[in-house]
Amino acid sequence: MNRDPIDRLIEEMRLREAQSKTRRHFIRQCSAGMGGLALSGFLASCNNGNNVPVAPKYNSTPATGHRDLNPLAPLAPPLVPRVKSVIYLHMAGSPSQLEMFDYKPELAKLHNQECPPSLLEGKKFAFIRGNPKLLGPQAQFERVGESGNWISDNLPHFKKVADEVAFLKAVHTDQFNHGPAQLFMHTGSPRLGRPSIGSWVTYGLGSENQNLPGFVVLTSGGKAPSAGKSVWGSGFLPSVYQGVQCRSKGDPVLYLEDPNGVSRDLKKSTISAINKINKAEYASYNDPEILARINQYEMAYRMQIAVPEVMNINSEPAEIKEMYGVEPGKESFANNCLLARKLVEEGVRFVQLFDWGWDSHGTDHSTAVDLGLRNKCRDIDRPITALLLDLKQRGLLDETLVIWGGEFGRTPMKENREGKEMGYMGRDHHGDAFTMWMAGGGVRKGASHGETDEIGFSGVSGRVSVHDVHATMLHLLGFDHEQFTFEFQGRPFRLTDVQGEVIREILA
Amino acid sequence: MDFATEVQPILNRHCITCHGGVKKSGDISFLFKEDAFAIGKSGAAAIVPGNARSSELFRRLTHNDPELRMPYDKPPLSEDEIDLLKRWINEGAVWGTHWAYQPPKAVSVPKIQETKGDAPIPKLFIQNDIDRFILAKQQEQQLTPKEMAAKSVIARRVALDLIGLPPKQSWFDAYVNGSLTYSAYVDTLLAQPAFGEKWASWWLDLARYADSKGYEKDNGRQIWAYRDWVIKAFNSDMPFDEFTRDQLAGDLLPQPTEDQLIATAFHRNTMNNDEGGTDDEEFRIATVLDRVNTTYQVWQSTTMECVQCHSHTYDPIRHEEYYKSMAFFNNSMDEDTPDEDPVLKQYNPLDEKVVRDIKAWIGKYDTTGLADTYDRFLRLNEPIYQVHHAKKFDNGELSDTKYLSLWPGGTCYYDNINSKGSQNLYLKYRAYHDGTQMTLRKDSLQGEVLARFTIDNTGGEIIRKIPFAPVNEPFRLYFQAENPKLPEQTGTSYITWFAFLPDLPGSEKMGYTQIESDVLRLLNTRTETVPVLLENPEYMQRTTRVFERGNWLTLGDTVSPATPAVLNAWNDTLPKNRLGFATWLTSSKNPLTARTVVNRVWHQLFGIGLVSTLEDMGSQSEPPTHPELLDWLSLRLMHNESWRLKGLIRTIVHSGTYRQQSEGHTADYQADPKNQWYARGPRMRLSAEQIRDQALAVSGLLSPKMYGPSVMPPQPDGVWQTVYSNEYWLESTGEDKYRRGLYTYLKRTSPYPSFMSFDAGSREVCTVRRTVTNTPLQALVTLNDPVYLEAAYSLAQQMHGAGDTQQAIAMGYQQALFQTLEPEKEQVLLSLYETALEDFSTNPNALQEFMGLPQNPNAELAALTVVANAIMNLDAFITKS
Repeated sequence: MNRDPIDRLIEEMRLREAQSKTRRHFIRQCSAGMGGLALSGFLASCNNGNNVPVAPKYNSTPATGHRDLNPLAPLAPPLVPRVKSVIYLHMAGSPSQLEMFDYKPELAKLHNQECPPSLLEGKKFAFIRGNPKLLGPQAQFERVGESGNWISDNLPHFKKVADEVAFLKAVHTDQFNHGPAQLFMHTGSPRLGRPSIGSWVTYGLGSENQNLPGFVVLTSGGKAPSAGKSVWGSGFLPSVYQGVQCRSKGDPVLYLEDPNGVSRDLKKSTISAINKINKAEYASYNDPEILARINQYEMAYRMQIAVPEVMNINSEPAEIKEMYGVEPGKESFANNCLLARKLVEEGVRFVQLFDWGWDSHGTDHSTAVDLGLRNKCRDIDRPITALLLDLKQRGLLDETLVIWGGEFGRTPMKENREGKEMGYMGRDHHGDAFTMWMAGGGVRKGASHGETDEIGFSGVSGRVSVHDVHATMLHLLGFDHEQFTFEFQGRPFRLTDVQGEVIREILA
Repeated sequence: MDFATEVQPILNRHCITCHGGVKKSGDISFLFKEDAFAIGKSGAAAIVPGNARSSELFRRLTHNDPELRMPYDKPPLSEDEIDLLKRWINEGAVWGTHWAYQPPKAVSVPKIQETKGDAPIPKLFIQNDIDRFILAKQQEQQLTPKEMAAKSVIARRVALDLIGLPPKQSWFDAYVNGSLTYSAYVDTLLAQPAFGEKWASWWLDLARYADSKGYEKDNGRQIWAYRDWVIKAFNSDMPFDEFTRDQLAGDLLPQPTEDQLIATAFHRNTMNNDEGGTDDEEFRIATVLDRVNTTYQVWQSTTMECVQCHSHTYDPIRHEEYYKSMAFFNNSMDEDTPDEDPVLKQYNPLDEKVVRDIKAWIGKYDTTGLADTYDRFLRLNEPIYQVHHAKKFDNGELSDTKYLSLWPGGTCYYDNINSKGSQNLYLKYRAYHDGTQMTLRKDSLQGEVLARFTIDNTGGEIIRKIPFAPVNEPFRLYFQAENPKLPEQTGTSYITWFAFLPDLPGSEKMGYTQIESDVLRLLNTRTETVPVLLENPEYMQRTTRVFERGNWLTLGDTVSPATPAVLNAWNDTLPKNRLGFATWLTSSKNPLTARTVVNRVWHQLFGIGLVSTLEDMGSQSEPPTHPELLDWLSLRLMHNESWRLKGLIRTIVHSGTYRQQSEGHTADYQADPKNQWYARGPRMRLSAEQIRDQALAVSGLLSPKMYGPSVMPPQPDGVWQTVYSNEYWLESTGEDKYRRGLYTYLKRTSPYPSFMSFDAGSREVCTVRRTVTNTPLQALVTLNDPVYLEAAYSLAQQMHGAGDTQQAIAMGYQQALFQTLEPEKEQVLLSLYETALEDFSTNPNALQEFMGLPQNPNAELAALTVVANAIMNLDAFITKS
């Protein structure tokens, strides 16, 4: 009998639970390199006694120190961390919480009735005009697992791992357009110019694997997020902390591939020649930047091998590929989920996934909440379930934080673009209340925090802001979000600006 | 005792976080004098001048009870600090002003004496007075400067600094062999057009110049004329006060020239949000705030962003003062519309002549200024009413929140419209259906009909003239659309703006019909454009109100334009507008403008500022390492150089400080890691643009073409991936592939990737300083990016013709680095060559596909290309030494 690999793995893990010692995963730390230049002696000599700088300062010209030679050298966070790495699954366009996690039977009863005007007073919508009608949930829901959390039948596989995650049912944002809202979600500010979460995290912690970028971005769904590359930009942090987009087509990292006709050996000889001359240069100038450059050239060479290796999903066992539902050679969310696992397994600090196509306005088939949205749900259901299980079976879920969400939620009202009745069922942008979830180390399994009103319009309890989500992430990584700052333009900046509180209710 | 240098730093370091502009714990703040001397919550005075013992400040610093001892929950102040505060209070607690808020002071140049026993001062070190200031501080630090660097080194250094490129071989030779003096060599560089390009790169970071509008859509923006203006301004050595005035207020000058209007695009580099569903007013305000923040950042090294929400945490600037500054900037016409009105149309020479003819013709028959009105309307399409101010839609909407779209039977109105008795309505719109009857009425839906006309399918967007009943006072304008043939809820038309213009004069004169049709034709002619800053006419002025806690929806008191009290006093003869503001900013009494410019120019040359916090000269900034030199140079810039930057730059690069050797010992780096005492010459990695420009220059590929639309040199496929945008990276051909970096198209959400790797920004906001990083991705760019491979190949071709292998390599090295190849390094490159040669000789396939070249190189040329690629990756190549 050909059982689904997801179910097989769940079964297997149950069996193994008795001998629950999970295989501790050691990260391969490739320091062998090629030139064999002894950097350590010099590093120690100019380290100024700061072995583990916790809040590195780069605002003024940096002093020579460990970080200058390798700005991604791993650092310990100031507090005890619960996780070492982050996988952030962003559904760009914003999925409808009302068809996935926020079950509203009352809304079903009110389907097609006029929305009470009191709800709309003082509210702004992107496209809804005048008096819209309410739109009942376009999915069946059931309570699942020991936690009894509601999940819709759009996510049949995810139901099996729902006990692993903690839901935030009443997240809110004050942005209701994609660009600003995505920026807010990923940089803590709706305006351009601030560093993304991944940049903050790699700035604060460095990365465990020096052969791979510390902050990797993977996109699917055919388009980049609305706010463009700024959602993984480094803002005012040094550019070394910006996300590196690893692509499914062309070079996985820009300019990674050697030029045609240049063999690996020849490239090795080239870099070795460059570094020999740079060493001679160092002998006369003694500028530590030269040593850093020698180091970076060695790293580049190693990265040329390591990146294609980790980006190659073909080498994974068939069972794993089947479990995720990967489509090698294509750009797909499933591929990216498997890559995310491989990357955190290799010690990459922050893996950011963007999946485009969740903007369910109901302007056509693909954006109807009862049609296109189902397909989108199907596209992520298996991969996300597989990702959580796969991380778990490798003992990685305990040290990884997985976050899922969009940039806002969607209205309980049916969209009436330009005040008109529309042919398909859709929902407009809505920032008052939407669902996100987290899973992994330090997160209370099966928790559900926050509740929305009867129709899912606003949070009535446990409301949390985007800043709160950020504060919680930083907390799990071992940072006090109020202390983790960067001096820029004469003032200290933080990811959470002047707000944010750790959401203790979902902490284990 | 000096408050600013001795007392205030202690208060700022230990007290001001809780007793400052944001928190005023116990009602005490040490930011403003009146707050510091006030009675606190405890009932006691924090500071009693002349009596430390009765001063609560002193009592709390030394209290035994940890609950009362300040700073609360933190280690106590050191004995020295407490003692200093005690003496200050006892001596009368004289409050002072921070150095940054006092105008630069005249200083005397330090006298240098060599003390016996000290290391001797290198003979050539003192070249001008800068070196005396520098040396005086070095002596305090017990540092000794280095010898002057070799001519060949200086020649490359100063060329990269002044023109951003390596020198031409002929200038280099002339200077090195002594036929050109250093001064003449520097002057040659200063006179190059490339000078303006190099320094424009610096200014464009501050101006946040980009070729796209930012935000989600990030559509293209035509604003390159501003970039060209900056280059020309630097090349003509336009005085910095004039440079400031034209950019901030060129439009307010009497009869501004086209260049002065283009200069105002400085503040049109703000982002513009075209995303459907966004509120134009919200983003107009974001734009105005950015203009305030950027202006203070660029000219005053001051962070105003904090003051947007509350009084400054550290600097004596109050919350409402932010909005008084904003009031200067809140009355420009632009309103975050997709068209970016107002834009200056740049007609082709033929049409330009027609515009002038129209103006002359009108001038013949009218004395009321109609000629100017029409000229302005033709060039700027101003003044107009944007449609997004529509109120009370019935059967209609703002389509995409941008365009007025009435459905059959639809109505809406506009308040406070002033047509000033004009007889013509101009309408910019598009429509896809015939037969819509549009009626415009005065004051109500039943009011006087002001215009009635039919709208038919237009194909695309047009500007049309419609007769309009004259009204002389402000009124409410109603729009009414009827089209019985259209289904309900169908947009009858999409209107962008409307405007009013009086009739042309001379309707009975010869040529009238031609003029009339020329006007309409020109209005509908597409041209190159540049967005500009224009002030609203008086009847369209906005009032400015304080945003409580920075929230634009929570409005506080109304404010009028004023500058912060802590800065130089406002001269009452100045107009209270941007022009007055620009004059105030460049007054010789302004404490920060000249210092800011000097500090940043210095940073360009030395890689570090005299005040190392380039962004901030306020209370939280690092103190200047050389305060006297900063003031000396600032005064010199204003008074001796009449604000001309070339003079300032010339003085600095003539100093012995600048011309030192940059070789250091490990001990030098330990003694002064940042080189803030300048005991060795500047050494820093080149900028993103410089690295590319240099590679193209030494390989002979660089195009000298200047100006014009931005270009799209090769970049990997799939880098541009923008939602909804139908704009593509259309690879430039011919010499446009090899233009200098500053001409590369900069799309904010997806900047040129190799520049990003080398720390160039995406120019969304003002960038004062690019953080320099050192990463493996940079190595991948210079090793593998086809741009650098092509440069290597081109250099290798020249090397190939230079003689035997040894000569070829020596020649390539010399041409790239302007240095003779030393034997040790030569050995390394020769051996790389041999390895490569062997590789290619034994592997013909490799040769065949080598770099995808159209013609297969022979093994020698391919091997030389590998060597050239290595040379262009050397630290010495991408670094200015």
